Amino acid sequence: MKHFDVVIVGSGASGGAVAYTLCRAGYKVAVLEKGRLIRREAFSKDELAYCRRDIVTPSLFDEYHLIEEKVGDQWVATPTYESGWSFWNGNIVGGSSNLMSGMLHRMHPDDFRLKSKYGEIEGANVVDWPITYTEMEPYYAMAESVIGISGVAQKHRFEPWRSTPDFPQPPTRENEVVKLFDKSCRALGITPLVTPRAVLSRDKEHRNACYYSNFCGSYGCSSGAKGSATEALLFPALSTGNLTLMSHTHVKYLKSSKEKVTSAVTVDTVTGETREITADIFVLAAQAHESVRLLLNSKNRHHPGGLSNSSGELGKNLLFSAGGSGQGELHRESLKEISFEALMERGLFVNRSILDWYYIDHWWDGRFKGGSVEFMFEHQNIISMACKNNEEGGKLIWGKALGERVAKRFKESKSIRFEIFNDWLPNDDCFVTVDEAHRDKYGMPVGKLRIAAHPHDLKVGSYLAGKCEAVLEEMGAKNIYSAISALPPQNLIAGGCRFGDDPGTSVLNRHCRSHDIPNLYVADASFMPTGGSVAYTWTIYANAFRVADHIVRDLSKM
Amino acid sequence: MTRRDFLATSAVVGLSASLSARETNGETKALEAAAPLIAAVQQHMFPEEGRLPSAKAMDTITFLKETITHASYDRDIRGFVIEGAQELEHRTKGKFLMMDAAQREAALRSYEETRYGSNWLTRIMTLTMEAIFSDPIYGSNIGQEGWKAVGSVGGVPRPKERYIAL
Repeated sequence: MKHFDVVIVGSGASGGAVAYTLCRAGYKVAVLEKGRLIRREAFSKDELAYCRRDIVTPSLFDEYHLIEEKVGDQWVATPTYESGWSFWNGNIVGGSSNLMSGMLHRMHPDDFRLKSKYGEIEGANVVDWPITYTEMEPYYAMAESVIGISGVAQKHRFEPWRSTPDFPQPPTRENEVVKLFDKSCRALGITPLVTPRAVLSRDKEHRNACYYSNFCGSYGCSSGAKGSATEALLFPALSTGNLTLMSHTHVKYLKSSKEKVTSAVTVDTVTGETREITADIFVLAAQAHESVRLLLNSKNRHHPGGLSNSSGELGKNLLFSAGGSGQGELHRESLKEISFEALMERGLFVNRSILDWYYIDHWWDGRFKGGSVEFMFEHQNIISMACKNNEEGGKLIWGKALGERVAKRFKESKSIRFEIFNDWLPNDDCFVTVDEAHRDKYGMPVGKLRIAAHPHDLKVGSYLAGKCEAVLEEMGAKNIYSAISALPPQNLIAGGCRFGDDPGTSVLNRHCRSHDIPNLYVADASFMPTGGSVAYTWTIYANAFRVADHIVRDLSKM
Repeated sequence: MTRRDFLATSAVVGLSASLSARETNGETKALEAAAPLIAAVQQHMFPEEGRLPSAKAMDTITFLKETITHASYDRDIRGFVIEGAQELEHRTKGKFLMMDAAQREAALRSYEETRYGSNWLTRIMTLTMEAIFSDPIYGSNIGQEGWKAVGSVGGVPRPKERYIAL
């Protein structure tokens, strides 16, 4: 096996971004991905396969996590093969970026200095980031351009400043429901914003514009419009001739001396063959909880607590996204402003978000960090929508009554939904370890996630849910409800390898390089000390571009 | 709590699938034996002359059998589907297939009163909904009648093979 300049573990948003920059700079890179490659032409809108079976994640009987939750006074660990609660996300080339909805925001400048801005919160480990928004901004702009984020620059007091005048592409097409939404928001004194979206509204190089399939999130994109790592980063990286993309290649652990990582020990997931792959620099990009697990499973006599764990901080302060969701139904007979036929037009987006409550400073409500809200149609999956309408009062509905109800639900109404994103406060009861007694099919200890949300997160989420329900009410929606939960969304994971300037309290330095091992980087969302109140993806892309630039500087000195 | 207990007693449905399930002859035979009763339950849930196509017209029992015996399907749920049918057979003293619609309704509502029965009926309902509303490539939703009944249609591109060759 040849020696590479850089080995990257994981091919998702962060791994793709690092590979893109390094390959274009002329370095020989291997990306190791345990999943398979699904080409654009093979991505179909098969609800059964993508949304109801595990075709893009491992079997939980083969590979699982232990999830530790507090029951009464006890911490109880449940294997995910028992609960069915999978913590895998898109284990294919390009990772879960293939399956995202692509509703993205930049983090606000004050998110980089949350402690300075809002002070301590008891029971939470809030710290400032070692870098500022000013250092990240060029990379947010780069992601916008390279990934292809469509949108329109809008002035808003909580919209982060930008170095470029506008987005590279205009927003994707919108359903007429936005007329009703915008009018309702304004009636309540709220400013509706067009959501930036990692979906092309126009063709871009080898990728075609969105064709409005009506089935976006949870599915791969068949036109290449979605800004997945595969389409936007890995294919261009491959075209340089410098990328070796190794699918079906699972990394069990890293070998290292005291000073450097020397190889990645891999197993071919099809043949079971074990190999060692060597490089000058190693970059982990396996998603936060799995990168931590890999570092812990790579412990040796030089690093008995795992790699990059001299601080004892590895795995701590795991983050999810707090908040929840809600929805309401727009009915034919009570619809205002637009025609029912326009509402029912398939495929077009809602593309609306509200940032008015990103920070709350109110004479009665108080002064605290709030969050962002996305509005969208309920997912149009047919099986799941039908299944949501087959019970009442805990009893199944069947027979002719079922047919009446399901047909009416599909034909006479359409639901509009909101998703709330607020900070998941880092705390001492949310972290990753490994459990030696539980091993995956490759013989390696599985990740054990202790999960607890700070009570403050629920207060903020509930506050925002009340505001969102008022918007739906103003729109004339019926059967409005929302659910704010302490349960984590398992597709929004960050933290566990905090970056910081003090090697005593952080795992990575400001460039996401290990404090302990100079040729080891972690490029995924695990670097984040606090998560901000937006989906992580844009920040993951931006930070990985930033880290890649630093690696190029490192390599140029070798 | 074991996983089987969890399936039978928890309110949570929609557990993930598994690989490497060991199909046994005994299980295949048990499923074949239970199939007429399961088909009758499906037909009771999705009868003729409703706004949705009937279970029989959509051949939902074939979908159910092919689905739960597929290598990717959760082996514990497969067992639960079969055992739940056997339990219904037992509760109705082997007479479910001979019952008229009113008697079947009473028997199923009585079964639903138990947590186990309620979860089993939900599982059968879900598997039948999956049949009627999934892509026709899976053998049910014949002529897209399921989609037409609700005025919807799956997205394009449509799948060219089942589960894109797991």
